[in-house]
Amino acid sequence: MTTAHQAEASRPVHGARAAELIARELPDAVLRRGVAYGEETVWIARERLVEVCTLLRDHADGRYRIPLHVTAVDWPDREPEEPRFDVVYQLRSLQHNDTCRLIVRVPEDDPSVPSLEKVFAGMDWHEREAYDLLGITFTGHHDLRRLLLPADWEGHPLRKDYVSFGEPVAFTHNLEWALPEQERPRDLPGETR
Amino acid sequence: MTALPPVQPPPSRDPLSEQYEHGRDLLGVETGLDSVDLVQLGESTMELNMGPQHPSTHGVLRLVLELDGEIVRQCKPDIGYLHTGFEKDFERHNYQQCIPYTDRMDYLSPLFNNLGFSLAVERLLGIDVPPRAQYLRVIMCELTRIASHLLWYGTSALDLGATTPFVYAWRDREKLLDINELVSGVRMHTSFIRVGGLLADVPDEFYGLVSEVIKTFPRRIDEHELLITKNPIWRERTIGLGVISAEDAMSYGASGPVLRGSGIPYDLRKAQPYSSYDHFDFDVPIGRNGDVYDRYLVRMQEMRESLKILDQAFNHLPDGPVNSSDRRVTLPPRNEINTSMESLIYHFKLVTEGFRTPVGHVYQAVESPRGELGFYIVSDGSNRPYRVKVRAPSFSNLSALPHMVHGELIADVVAVIGSIDILLGDVDR
Repeated sequence: MTTAHQAEASRPVHGARAAELIARELPDAVLRRGVAYGEETVWIARERLVEVCTLLRDHADGRYRIPLHVTAVDWPDREPEEPRFDVVYQLRSLQHNDTCRLIVRVPEDDPSVPSLEKVFAGMDWHEREAYDLLGITFTGHHDLRRLLLPADWEGHPLRKDYVSFGEPVAFTHNLEWALPEQERPRDLPGETR
Repeated sequence: MTALPPVQPPPSRDPLSEQYEHGRDLLGVETGLDSVDLVQLGESTMELNMGPQHPSTHGVLRLVLELDGEIVRQCKPDIGYLHTGFEKDFERHNYQQCIPYTDRMDYLSPLFNNLGFSLAVERLLGIDVPPRAQYLRVIMCELTRIASHLLWYGTSALDLGATTPFVYAWRDREKLLDINELVSGVRMHTSFIRVGGLLADVPDEFYGLVSEVIKTFPRRIDEHELLITKNPIWRERTIGLGVISAEDAMSYGASGPVLRGSGIPYDLRKAQPYSSYDHFDFDVPIGRNGDVYDRYLVRMQEMRESLKILDQAFNHLPDGPVNSSDRRVTLPPRNEINTSMESLIYHFKLVTEGFRTPVGHVYQAVESPRGELGFYIVSDGSNRPYRVKVRAPSFSNLSALPHMVHGELIADVVAVIGSIDILLGDVDR
């Protein structure tokens, strides 16, 4: 019996077809390529995203017509050397039985990518979810509102700097973090301990 | 069906204006009766709020329907009432602690969530699961698929007024939940599939219960089909309703029976086999028209195919361990701890901090009863996932609902929602 990992090693790399196609047709849109765990990822320039996805959808060698998901991964420690957010797109091609992953990197002060809802109808909700939970804005989206959280929610919970559990407890060393300014004690007993 | 003819602009509601009096004359409202809302009468469409407590929305789905008479002109789903933030929770638990969270997303088919998450982590770690565990995973998953489809069959028939199928479906689903209870101790949130294998090997009673299911269920499914497949009321209410073309279904990211109902034979168990699904012989049923009736037929046929897989997996169930021998993820047996220092260390580390995965990201999809359930896991090398994105099948399938109900009667919206087989725990996560 062949093991799952032998089977995976002998299988063509997922997404290699898409990576080849983009590299052939739009070579200047590709920033980086990487293979890991039998899946190839392509890093795409932000302004070429719509073009790349249209190519993947329509080209006979691609036919990536099913949008699987859109999400983002937050790496706050990466700023300012590299952009903070990885916006991850995953598409599936039924014709070639393949899935591919695209990543667009966006910085903290301008976390926006072009919307793909005109390319795939199903991107509408996925983009709203990514906006809701991670604060990525999709330019050109017709109705970019919060999807899962209430409309008056503050903050974007899946960002790493959003604390989702517990209550801030004030100690002498973290008063500025734990309390709003008007609630901080004016003079503390003893400067430090 | 055409829209109402255009009407005059609504008269002013200021009681002092001449227009107001004129408007009253026009409508024949007697002086002193202020209950008629003149502004409302001037509009040709009406907004209707459906849910989130509506029984046929299968949970807490809210729809804002724009109606022209009885015709749905626009449907805006409002989701998020069951949003629990599981993806954030994953980030502060180690990998084993994440498994029970996955149960609670798609709570009608929890084993698929366990399986998807475990397969993704196993790929990150490079672990192989023993054949017996793979076969038992398949058996438990297919039992769950039948249970999930039975529940769907019962409730969606109930939505359209057929009470009997619901009771019959419940009778059969009990048998499957009993098996869940036997192997894992609980009926729904089993957490039976773990990273590296299973919770434990199955007890001896398991074989009797499963072989009874394999023996009796084909007759039972015939019985279910006898109740509604050729029922004229059911056919009248479902044929030609909620049609979605293959093209649109793909563009919306639909998967599972919704995609197959539109005629696309795509099933991840066949296309990208995992957990030794390539050892089994089964067919992928598809529909022709992409309407509610076709999705019904696809699911009924899928139950029969699941029984075929069950039969093969059960009769060729290999012997052996049900957990990987990789000590990073599996607790060493007691006698090994007594004699080996390394085992003791592994035991201690596994219990106190869990295991660490290599840096990387991986996307693993499984075919759940609702469609493609994917886990995108990003690892930063620690014992907790850095980010988990769950690609929920119900989420994408539900986003096609406005397209499906556009131009249908309001009474049929219920039938279309039922046919997508959404689960709000899965949609909202």
